[in-house]
Amino acid sequence: MERRPYGPRAWLVEGIDDPPAWAAALAAIDVPGVVEIVPAETTVVVRCTRQRHGAIGDVLDMVVAAPAARDSEPPITIDVIYDGPDIADLAAVAQVSVDDVVRLHVTGSYHVAFCGFSPGFGYLRGIDRRLHVPRRDTPRRSVPAGSVGIAAGYSCVYPSTSPGGWYLIGHTTDTLWDVDSDPPALLRPGRAVRFRMVSG
Amino acid sequence: MMTDPALRIVQVGFATTVQDRGRSGLAHLGVPTAGAVDRRAHDLMNRLVGNSPGAATIETMGAFIVEALRPVVVARSTDASRHTLSTGDRFRVDAPSESVWAYLSVRGGIAVEPVLGSRSVDTLGHLGPAAIVVDMLLDVGSDPGTPLVAEHAPERDPADRGVRIWDGPQHDWFIGGRQTLIERPWRVTNELSRVGVRLDTGDFPRSTRSEPQMSSIGLTEGAIQITPSGEPIVMLANHPTTGGYPVIAVVDPDDLSSLVQRRPGATVSFRRA
Repeated sequence: MERRPYGPRAWLVEGIDDPPAWAAALAAIDVPGVVEIVPAETTVVVRCTRQRHGAIGDVLDMVVAAPAARDSEPPITIDVIYDGPDIADLAAVAQVSVDDVVRLHVTGSYHVAFCGFSPGFGYLRGIDRRLHVPRRDTPRRSVPAGSVGIAAGYSCVYPSTSPGGWYLIGHTTDTLWDVDSDPPALLRPGRAVRFRMVSG
Repeated sequence: MMTDPALRIVQVGFATTVQDRGRSGLAHLGVPTAGAVDRRAHDLMNRLVGNSPGAATIETMGAFIVEALRPVVVARSTDASRHTLSTGDRFRVDAPSESVWAYLSVRGGIAVEPVLGSRSVDTLGHLGPAAIVVDMLLDVGSDPGTPLVAEHAPERDPADRGVRIWDGPQHDWFIGGRQTLIERPWRVTNELSRVGVRLDTGDFPRSTRSEPQMSSIGLTEGAIQITPSGEPIVMLANHPTTGGYPVIAVVDPDDLSSLVQRRPGATVSFRRA
């Protein structure tokens, strides 16, 4: 683990095996002055008050991540209707059949690597290597909430309607984002996720 | 629930939104902080009317007009002045001519319903209260009971001492690091929003990496990202929670107010924090 200065109100922590687990371990200490703990693909950014920046840096050196917390909570199951507009395009790019896309996606074991892009948008790691494809050349201006996508080595479910450049393979009617829930996001860093095929 | 609205919107301007100090503690779920772009001006206008700094104000780029539906005390940043309005009075906030963002505060604070602990309109994550539209009625909070002291706030110091910057986590990805930003003056472009502002010059920082790709990292207000074409983009209050461009430097929080109020075409000089 190595921390790099990120201005007077943040640290970037690199070289962590499991950013969500490390972030959870830091959150559990409840360090005064910590404002945000933001896990990403391979790093965690800790935003804090200016006054406590130095002291918090020392605390970060002592954080030990617990073994992946995702194993202690049951997976979230998301029901998917595999009717997305890009499923044939994705099959062509990945050089598999449409049935393979559905089978490989629905049988995968996923977890939320990190959230970003939009509120409640989780990057789901664990997708079969045969479905690792880049983003679409041209993003859509508007992707409906609940759309299930694949791109960049991840799967996702769009929590709200937003622009998007992922291959859309289906949709869910489950609610992923609700400001009146606590927490508002269904998908949180570290949580295990499974998909289940349902008919529309 | 609105019981006794205090203001009616007569005319809305460009980028007119309700803002406070933003939402914190939810960035790990992809929720931006948002809040006022010029935190200092927002806080100052609250102080003029005796509010706590967390009270919600109206932020704008363009001119707008409100009408008092009952007596209220307001302050506007365009001339840093406080006014007492009687019922029926109309009050105009001009589009700032020397700066970018203006604020209107009301004694008691704009009392729209908070979303996830904040009244800020998050223009990136599309969270928060409804957009301000003509004829909208706005409630204000209860009188804070504080004394009203000054009628005017000090004018912004016109002297340009430069914007202080710290090393960003990827400063060593660029030949010369943050010094390359300090060596030349930058120009504010018209790509400017609550999310960020792009800077321009003929001469961009050059990467030490043949493959300037990295995995996304968490962002922070004031982070200066360098895009693949070499352009610096400074992240402002409504920045996304994560981003994939290397961060060469970070603007000192105390100098953000000076940076965000520079109009397109204005120059920015950086200096070492």
